Amino acid sequence: MNCDEARRHWNLYHDSEGDVELHFRIEEHLANCPHCAEWFHKQGRLEDLLVHKLTAPAPHPELWNRVLVASGLVKPAGARRWILFSGLAACAAAVALLVTWSGRSAAVGENDLAELTGRCHERLATGAEPLQFRSDSDLEVEDYLRRQVSFPVRCPPRKDAGFAVSGAGVCRLAEQPAAYLAGHVDVIPVSIFVMPRDSLAAFRNQPDATQGRVTRRRTGSLETVFGVIDRNAVLVVGKADPATLERVLRAYGTYPEHH
Amino acid sequence: MRHLGPLEGALEAFVRRALYDPNAVADVLQSAIEAAYRDFQLYVEGTNFRAWIFRFVHLEILNNNRKLERTRLATLPADVATEDVWELALDEPLFRELLDDPDPVLERCDDALAQAVRELSRSERDVLLLRAIGEFKYREIAEILQVPLGTVMSSLARSRTRLRERLVEFGKTSGMLRRETT
Repeated sequence: MNCDEARRHWNLYHDSEGDVELHFRIEEHLANCPHCAEWFHKQGRLEDLLVHKLTAPAPHPELWNRVLVASGLVKPAGARRWILFSGLAACAAAVALLVTWSGRSAAVGENDLAELTGRCHERLATGAEPLQFRSDSDLEVEDYLRRQVSFPVRCPPRKDAGFAVSGAGVCRLAEQPAAYLAGHVDVIPVSIFVMPRDSLAAFRNQPDATQGRVTRRRTGSLETVFGVIDRNAVLVVGKADPATLERVLRAYGTYPEHH
Repeated sequence: MRHLGPLEGALEAFVRRALYDPNAVADVLQSAIEAAYRDFQLYVEGTNFRAWIFRFVHLEILNNNRKLERTRLATLPADVATEDVWELALDEPLFRELLDDPDPVLERCDDALAQAVRELSRSERDVLLLRAIGEFKYREIAEILQVPLGTVMSSLARSRTRLRERLVEFGKTSGMLRRETT
């Protein structure tokens, strides 16, 4: 593949679409052509900035309130006032209870992303929590997750990254929605957690969310590798060595549409 | 409601960008949600709700825009079976400059970008916004818009190129991009 050919397919590559063979050939070219690698990187960055511009500004809650009330999906604010008051009272009571019960130490780790995913991985790996969907088919797993979550998810990593998928499901991490892919690298259980990138703000010690940057962390006997891919925050967790987990992370989502 | 909550931001951004009349955003959202609510018995739990609700919103935008059909609507291109080429009919040196440092232009391009999106053909605009804001895959966009996959690919490639052209133009006229003389 030459430079023109590679650049012509930038759209497909950037959007993780097209066929496997094409992605391999583009990656091969990029590995050997620093000019194109830089061009792809800069095009991707420009596209990310444009997308950010197009999606701004943030939604207007008052507009949605109006829309939902007018659509009959929620009751007007006046009719809900008593719910608000009783809700506030209930919240106050709940907060007081929580403070009494949990004390200060309980807060530690409650919204630490690496610890939360580590615990979830352990439950999945030991079978304490059964997989919500079992399949060793990348396509079936991807289709399942895309039906379950409202944020974008991509397919499991390609087989050549060594990850063999065995199932998937959805969970909540510190009240944030997340999808997981469970599987193995060789015989070692490995889980991949996928969340909307915007959810990262909800976590303590949130990792660096720069696109393309990979962060590693060890929690107990577990290794966690974190990165941002497109608009997903992705964590790969397991007892495998970090380099292997990073390979899986980098392969996440590179499988195109019709594999 | 539990399905709708996480999508509010994307739906609102999509309507704001795709609608000709900026004052009709709430009306369009309301009509679309009412229609979706009426047909909710047709929605199969566990299927792609995002695509389902975006289809209602898209149809409502089409209806509303038709009322204000003041801009020329370019006829849809014939289906292109293969990916459109990444044609850069751009001022190459200035485009390279934009790629090297896009932040100054992007920080001030709100109006130019909004105008550029409005000037895209309907097909280009819909595909671009569904990809950028809705984060849909090409296959899903084809289903929502009821167009062939090839049309999605070619429209997306063209719309991205056109936005880049307009950014370069904006950078040039505002003096932020300057061709280096050698």
